Amino acid sequence: MIHEILAQLDNGISALQTLLYIDVVQPFFYRFGLMGYDEDTYDALYWVIVGVLEIVVTYLALRPLEAMRPIEAWSDRRALRSDVIYTWIAKLGIINIAFFFMLQPLFDHWQSLIAIHDIPNIDVDSMWPGVTDQPVVSFLIYLIVLDFAGYWYHRWQHRFGVWWELHAVHHSQQQMSLWSDDRNHFLDDIIQAAFFAAISLFIGVPPSQFVVLVAVGNFMQSVQHVNARLPYGWLLERVIVSPIFHRRHHAVGYGHEGSRYGCNFGVLFPWWDMMFGTVAWNHTVEPTGIRDQLPAPHGSGRVYGDGLWAQQWYAFGRIVERLRGRRAYGESAVN
Amino acid sequence: MSIRKTGLIAAAFVYCGLSWANPAHAEGRVIVLDSGEAALTLIDKTTHQVVGTEPTGKEPHHLMITPDGKSLMVANSVSNDLMLLDPQTGKVQRRIEGIEDPYQLGFSPDHKWFVTAALRMDRVDIYHYDGQNVTLLKHIPLEKTPSHLTFASDNRTVFVTLQDSGELAAIDLPSQTLLWRMHVGNQPAGLWMTPGDRYLLIGMTGEDDVAVVDWHKQQIVKKIKTGRGAHNFRNLDDGVHVAVTNRVESTISILDYNALDKVGDITGLLPGPDDMELSSDRRYLWVTFRFAKHVGIIDLTTRKLIDTIAVGRSPHGLYFDDHAPVLAPNPD
Repeated sequence: MIHEILAQLDNGISALQTLLYIDVVQPFFYRFGLMGYDEDTYDALYWVIVGVLEIVVTYLALRPLEAMRPIEAWSDRRALRSDVIYTWIAKLGIINIAFFFMLQPLFDHWQSLIAIHDIPNIDVDSMWPGVTDQPVVSFLIYLIVLDFAGYWYHRWQHRFGVWWELHAVHHSQQQMSLWSDDRNHFLDDIIQAAFFAAISLFIGVPPSQFVVLVAVGNFMQSVQHVNARLPYGWLLERVIVSPIFHRRHHAVGYGHEGSRYGCNFGVLFPWWDMMFGTVAWNHTVEPTGIRDQLPAPHGSGRVYGDGLWAQQWYAFGRIVERLRGRRAYGESAVN
Repeated sequence: MSIRKTGLIAAAFVYCGLSWANPAHAEGRVIVLDSGEAALTLIDKTTHQVVGTEPTGKEPHHLMITPDGKSLMVANSVSNDLMLLDPQTGKVQRRIEGIEDPYQLGFSPDHKWFVTAALRMDRVDIYHYDGQNVTLLKHIPLEKTPSHLTFASDNRTVFVTLQDSGELAAIDLPSQTLLWRMHVGNQPAGLWMTPGDRYLLIGMTGEDDVAVVDWHKQQIVKKIKTGRGAHNFRNLDDGVHVAVTNRVESTISILDYNALDKVGDITGLLPGPDDMELSSDRRYLWVTFRFAKHVGIIDLTTRKLIDTIAVGRSPHGLYFDDHAPVLAPNPD
């Protein structure tokens, strides 16, 4: 049943992909002598359509909730503008294009070595014939394995100073909303894409399931950042990460303290935090952001950038400061 | 109504689960490489029903029967290997690994040489074939993006199109050296040698024509207008005609290869016609539609598309056993 629904959805997107490609993109490429990109562009268009649909569905589902049941009341939403741009950049696959040009040759070479030297990988589908080769079962296994990897990736983002300075772009948003999830440093995005692509290759995620995994994961992460009170209840918030659970992770001094401390790192499931002792169930709403953004005496009023390019550029400045041995994060404020 | 619109409406009917009548003809399996899905689709040639899929390596683009006729060789370009399949069932017989980026492949007419075009890696690789295995003799760097190849009947020369540099290259097989390269136009792709090795026909995917090259003199003698995105060839086994797919126009043109003229077009197709195969009775032309996740069957007596079959993403090469003889690029 689910398999059939996904197949129909895939057919619908593919039909739209074909329509857009032959009526819009291909005539343009033909006219300007770009037919060398013909096949790759056709393939990429599928992801662009998935991205646009994700944004539309996410907005229609979550924006009314933010208006009706806000956790925090804001006087204006200007601070969200850059997050909206981040979201379109990420969902339209621009990060993936960067990944393609920067790291794809490396991945192709790596795949070649795996094939040539017969390096074994894990074939989840064939682990338990009759069970794990069922699409729903294998999909859930992939989701859980990738989420486990995501938990540790997130912990390392907070653990290692240089990496934290990239991740700080995400945490510097003090007004969490449905748009916050994609606010990341582009370099971190590319590293993350490589990390998950490598794991997906290793466990043999089929391309058709990879599309759905990415779409489901993105939607769940947008929900976690939403500025709306959602009634998850005791049980559901222990099954999947809720907005109030993730908001705790963003809370200054409670959810994280830069690279010094953190809780609730789970990406889709809170189980890993429960398992590794990093869980916090406190529902108290605290200010979100980074401590040194706060005015004195709590912080140093550090600016992380109002616009997208400033946010990206300032991260490199903080990394240079850190590498020179100077304090780049307001650690003195918590000492 | 434009041709492309007609094709789209046809596609819409297929997406709604409708299909045309199924003519009964020769039995057997049709194997279609779904290059975007690391899989192949098996189709019952009589009922036109999909009877299964089998995994392949990543990005299987082209395929051909081995000289002994016992195996179908599938080139997995990103997995860097060749898979030898049972031509009927699509089941793997064995793999030949360590063949880097085999985007396109071919045996010389005497089966002594095996050649691959490594599109991503900008080179052509020459192998010795002993009837069972291939042994690498030489990598020949050839920028940029070598894509299709064909052989001269003297078994000495292989011709390769270089898509992104717009060239045709000739390589001497005994010495494994580049003989020459010449500019032919925008995005040359499929190659087809006319009988007697007189001319090379080249599908110009960035143009709306087929270039006719006198390769002895390294001159373009004519450009035959076909349709936008001329791409790949299949001889129609009547001593006169060869079909060429037009991947942007979404048509197939029929050329008279003696007169070097176009004699007709097959229209009303789905988007992106690419590779073709002809039934042994010369009546049905099967074609992959690269941008529509379908293959189609054309009745050449009426030049109409009579059926389409949903397959996987980006279908490219296709094969069935009881096909009409191939003259080029890999003659039977």
